[in-house]
Amino acid sequence: MRLLLVEDHVPLADELLAGLIRQGYAVDWLADGRDAAYQGATEPYDLIILDLGLPGKPGIEVLQEWRSGGLTTPVLILTARGSWAERIEGLKAGADDYMSKPFHPEELHLRIQSLLRRAHGLANQPQLEAAGLQLDEGRQSVQRNGEEVQLTAAEFRLLRYFMLHAGQLLSKSHLAEHLYDGESERDSNVIEVHVNHLRRKLGREIIETRRGQGYRFSGDTA
Amino acid sequence: MRSIQRRLSLGLVSVLLIVGLLLAQSSLWLFDRSLRGYLQTTLQDETQTLLGAVVRGPNGLQLDERRLSAAYKRPYSGLYFRIDLNEQSWRSRSLWDRELHTVEAEGLKDALGDGPQGQQWLVYRADYQRYGQPIVIHVARDYRPILDSFSQVQKVILGLGVSALVLILLLQRLIVSRALRPLEQVRRQLLQLQQGQRSQLDQQVPLELEPLVAQINHLLAHTEDTLKRSRNALGNLGHALKTPLAVLVSLATREELKQLPQLRESLDGQLQQIEQRIARELGRARLAGEALPGAHFDCASELPELFSTLTMIHGNHLQLEWQAEPGLRLPWDREDLLELLGNLLDNACKWADSQVQLHICKVTAGYQLTIDDDGPGIDAALRDEVLSRGSRLDEQVAGHGLGLGIVRDIVDAWGGILQLAESPLDGLRVTVSLPLKRT
Repeated sequence: MRLLLVEDHVPLADELLAGLIRQGYAVDWLADGRDAAYQGATEPYDLIILDLGLPGKPGIEVLQEWRSGGLTTPVLILTARGSWAERIEGLKAGADDYMSKPFHPEELHLRIQSLLRRAHGLANQPQLEAAGLQLDEGRQSVQRNGEEVQLTAAEFRLLRYFMLHAGQLLSKSHLAEHLYDGESERDSNVIEVHVNHLRRKLGREIIETRRGQGYRFSGDTA
Repeated sequence: MRSIQRRLSLGLVSVLLIVGLLLAQSSLWLFDRSLRGYLQTTLQDETQTLLGAVVRGPNGLQLDERRLSAAYKRPYSGLYFRIDLNEQSWRSRSLWDRELHTVEAEGLKDALGDGPQGQQWLVYRADYQRYGQPIVIHVARDYRPILDSFSQVQKVILGLGVSALVLILLLQRLIVSRALRPLEQVRRQLLQLQQGQRSQLDQQVPLELEPLVAQINHLLAHTEDTLKRSRNALGNLGHALKTPLAVLVSLATREELKQLPQLRESLDGQLQQIEQRIARELGRARLAGEALPGAHFDCASELPELFSTLTMIHGNHLQLEWQAEPGLRLPWDREDLLELLGNLLDNACKWADSQVQLHICKVTAGYQLTIDDDGPGIDAALRDEVLSRGSRLDEQVAGHGLGLGIVRDIVDAWGGILQLAESPLDGLRVTVSLPLKRT
């Protein structure tokens, strides 16, 4: 999962970045509204966390620009302006969720998880479930037929992406784009290695390889 | 407060009445005076004629009947005399059985004397010296017919005066209401302003009212501007305080601090207190209260947005409904009302199982907002406590108590009443009764 964090307060951004990376997200960070307006629309993010009080361009305008440009990426607004009138304005501009500062990092993580599930049509699930697997995003482990399987951070990130896109054909470059932030080295061989690890832990059939096209998470363990 | 119209009418009526009565009465009095003056000379002539009729006869002085006018012979004719000599006294036949009493002074007597058949006599006395002896002659004349015609004239004048008064009043009303129409228009617009149906007064007014209207508009714009600026400043202050606070809250959850649970707990507690305090005070400072007379909240346009926001926050599993008369506008600031309804509905959504309903209706004393949910409700014994402290009953559902605190601030600022009761949906019913603004 690749997220864009737009926040101009550096200490807060540092805190958020550290927490989000611990949660297994690839995060790009921007502090200026104009940069955010451009990069948010061009890079394939899975979710955007947007502060409203930004230098360069107000967050609300950035959001309106994205939405009028047809961007459908879920946007979570993070702001100190918590009045209901401002909340309504934010959601009217096209936000999907609204959090007022200060907040507990855990709550932010839960909101991000549920927003991602909702964006992929998996609403009303307390946990991410797909194909007989239950992913515990807090502990970064997966339950399969009642038994718990431990995952490495990289495996967790990959499996979470697969589970949110169950049944879809995903190319290696697509996976690389969504699993690593803009500054990491993207090596498609690494993905191959992690796919193999997942297969070893959860069964061969769980991820199907389509030669020349990519991977498809089916999870048909039967 | 009395209206200008009524004050003008009252003034005009009293002035017209006083002047009219004085005028009518004094002209009648003057007429009466001059008439009496004229009658005095005729009565004086009459005495001289009578004096001429006193002649020396064979048995001393006697009255020559042939020289007397016929009116003295017909009983109660309206013309009478009495002639007093030294030893004898003659009276006209017209007196019949009545007595013409003597008067003390010579000339016309001021007071009228009573006569027969309701007659009012004007009595004149003249003293003469003839044939070596004094002769006193009294002549009386009935003044009644003239008094009658006077009262007739009085009635006519009264009738004319009253109808003139009515006509003048009607005309005055017309003129005044025409002249005051701009004032009436301003008054209506101020009323609309109070009810939130307009936010400015019309500039098209007569010269005399222009400074007033311009000043009111300026004040309105100024108040709105000040409110906007102070809200903006508060927003900035909130931003400046809450962002570092968010950093601190996040730092308090660091791995390193997990080793020191006590420290972490007290840090958490203190941070929470700061957060609540900031939210409450900033919320209170943001309130417009009754500062803006033109403020209004249009139910039909604001509520759908509020409800879609709530749906987005709480998910689709809740059935949220609102009911308000079509076109209902509440005369309070939009942001204040959104804050009030947002907090109450947010609480209801947090506790509800499946249903939350909002009813807004106009009652005689003002407006009533009712919010129902089908959650667990609050025990009757605890309701007062929840209201009085705005305390949070359940630490698990964040912001419950805080929200009620801000709601209380808003309701207090408007002089309203907040009540908790059992809902027909089995959950909690929150009723907010808001009185109409004083005009």
